[in-house]
Amino acid sequence: MATPITIVDDSTMSRKLMIRALPKNWDVEISQAQNGQEAMEAYHQGKADIMFLDLTMPVMDGYQVLETLQKTGLNSFVIVVSADIQPKAQERVMQMGAMAFLKKPVNTEEVTAVLTEYGII
Amino acid sequence: MDSHAATTPLLNFIVDRVNIGIFVINKEMDIILWNHFMETYSGTSAEEALGQNLFKQFPELPSAWLKRKINSVFILKNFAFTSWEQRPYLFKFPHNRPVTGGVDSMRQNCTFLPVIDEKNNEEYVCVTLLDVTDTSIYQNRLEETKQQLAEASNRDGLTGIHNRRYLEDSILKEFARATRYKEALSFIILDIDHFKHVNDDLGHLAGDEVLRRVAEILSATVRDTDILARYGGEEFGIVCPSTRLEGAMMLAERVRTSIATTLILYDEKPVPITISLGVAQFNNDIDSYEKLINQADTALYQSKEKGRNCATYYIKDD
Amino acid sequence: MSIAPLTEDQRDALQEVLNIAMGQAGNSLARILDAFVELSVPRIRFVEVSMVTSTIEEFVPCSGEVTAVRQAFFDDLRGEALIIFDQNGCQDIADLMGYDDHLDVQAQQELLLDVSNVLVGAILNGVTNTLGTHLSYSAPSIMAERTLLNQIITPENVPWTHSALLEVNYSLKDRDFRSHLLLFMAEEAIEALRKAVDDFVESF
Repeated sequence: MATPITIVDDSTMSRKLMIRALPKNWDVEISQAQNGQEAMEAYHQGKADIMFLDLTMPVMDGYQVLETLQKTGLNSFVIVVSADIQPKAQERVMQMGAMAFLKKPVNTEEVTAVLTEYGII
Repeated sequence: MDSHAATTPLLNFIVDRVNIGIFVINKEMDIILWNHFMETYSGTSAEEALGQNLFKQFPELPSAWLKRKINSVFILKNFAFTSWEQRPYLFKFPHNRPVTGGVDSMRQNCTFLPVIDEKNNEEYVCVTLLDVTDTSIYQNRLEETKQQLAEASNRDGLTGIHNRRYLEDSILKEFARATRYKEALSFIILDIDHFKHVNDDLGHLAGDEVLRRVAEILSATVRDTDILARYGGEEFGIVCPSTRLEGAMMLAERVRTSIATTLILYDEKPVPITISLGVAQFNNDIDSYEKLINQADTALYQSKEKGRNCATYYIKDD
Repeated sequence: MSIAPLTEDQRDALQEVLNIAMGQAGNSLARILDAFVELSVPRIRFVEVSMVTSTIEEFVPCSGEVTAVRQAFFDDLRGEALIIFDQNGCQDIADLMGYDDHLDVQAQQELLLDVSNVLVGAILNGVTNTLGTHLSYSAPSIMAERTLLNQIITPENVPWTHSALLEVNYSLKDRDFRSHLLLFMAEEAIEALRKAVDDFVESF
């Protein structure tokens, strides 16, 4: 069965880049969200077993998504995808429950490495 | 590829002979290129320099600063610069203007360029030194001229002391300072008594001479920190920073006495001159420098009323 | 000369390129300054010369005096960067860069130029890394000291009528330090920018 994943980013370009960077042989059903609110809707519709989450977005940002998931004990495997590559920014999202961190611009090798590490592929 | 191979010796020649200092260092700060310009001015040949640590070979370089600069280029892979205006030179080299110089050594603008050798992926920093001694000399002359102009525009043509514009600038500055740091500040305004008579009886040349002499005596009497200026006509102003009313009154009295007791001659004849003064002190009620000047003016008027040749300080009339 | 603004896709792509560049710049600065850099969302505008001062005032919310440094960049992209520091920023720099001693005027200026150079290089290197372009830089110089914001540019002396204006700002967590960086790319330079962005989009 295909894994439902949601790619959350306000930039169309950035979502496109993310989709292109997914491993070719990975069987997924891809949904897209432009902000945190849409991401939460996708989650509740069962479309976000795995979430690729940008941090800076209008309406509801990535930090708020992490906070909501953590507070309400919801269970999505969140991989943060961010341009803010300062070690302290990475630490912060990991503390907030993110499972992994990918720096922008994403590339297939790094995505594959993360997914392999957690036995997802 | 062929044309590349053909131009390489040409490029090497140009890098070596161009009239710009060029040298390259690796991450260990060892010199790996040292061109002819650097050889000529440093007196160190490429043979001696190559493979040597930059800072061991040239211990006079500002090592702490320069290491940080070079490291930032390695870390950020970013250009970096120095300009003669902030740092006159990197290497103390002689310049080519021994006759017309006016500066002690070659002024330099430097560029630090990150370089990657794609063959072995090795990183270097290339430093170029541009001789900008000529530019610096012109720039310095321009600055001097600008300063002279600014100075001239702050001076009174007749007496050579500062003019009203400068006085107002100064009082504005001192007023701001006094307000910010709650410091004392006083202002004295003074006027030559019956100056009109001097002009009418002895002529304008006599009037001019009196103004010059009064300015001289005032200059010699005020303290170094006071700012003296011709306020207009026969009026002068003295800004007294960090001075309370008592101090300003003492100064006013001293100034009054020196004018009254110094013999002023015109056409070898004595011209008796006295002055009247008004003094005001900055306080919390004064919210603008104009008010301070007005209060001193009011006090000056009272001195005139009292019969002249005296100093009065401003008292708030309730 | 009228300049077609970027298409929605081009703008989105440029925004993303700037976000990535901003992230890399922030990381470089964090390493040098040993502090956490708060990243701004880069802003993109197309301005006519008559709007330049009001746009700068909108981007740089600073009522007091400022000090501005300029630096030109050229090669695949061409333009001029303006770095604006408020007075707090100027004073904070020496402290940030680890200078304890009192600095004379020349040393302060040198430091300001150094920091400006790092800020400009950091963001533009991020842009060139992402777009695969090359850039060179002129030496930075002080453009205005202790000047009101609306007086740093004299529109009559500006040689272009249209320019792309990109703005990012850097501030440091728990500190007063904040500086604004404005990148101007005028007239033909906009076309070069458009082409670089198109090439980037097509490379996927």
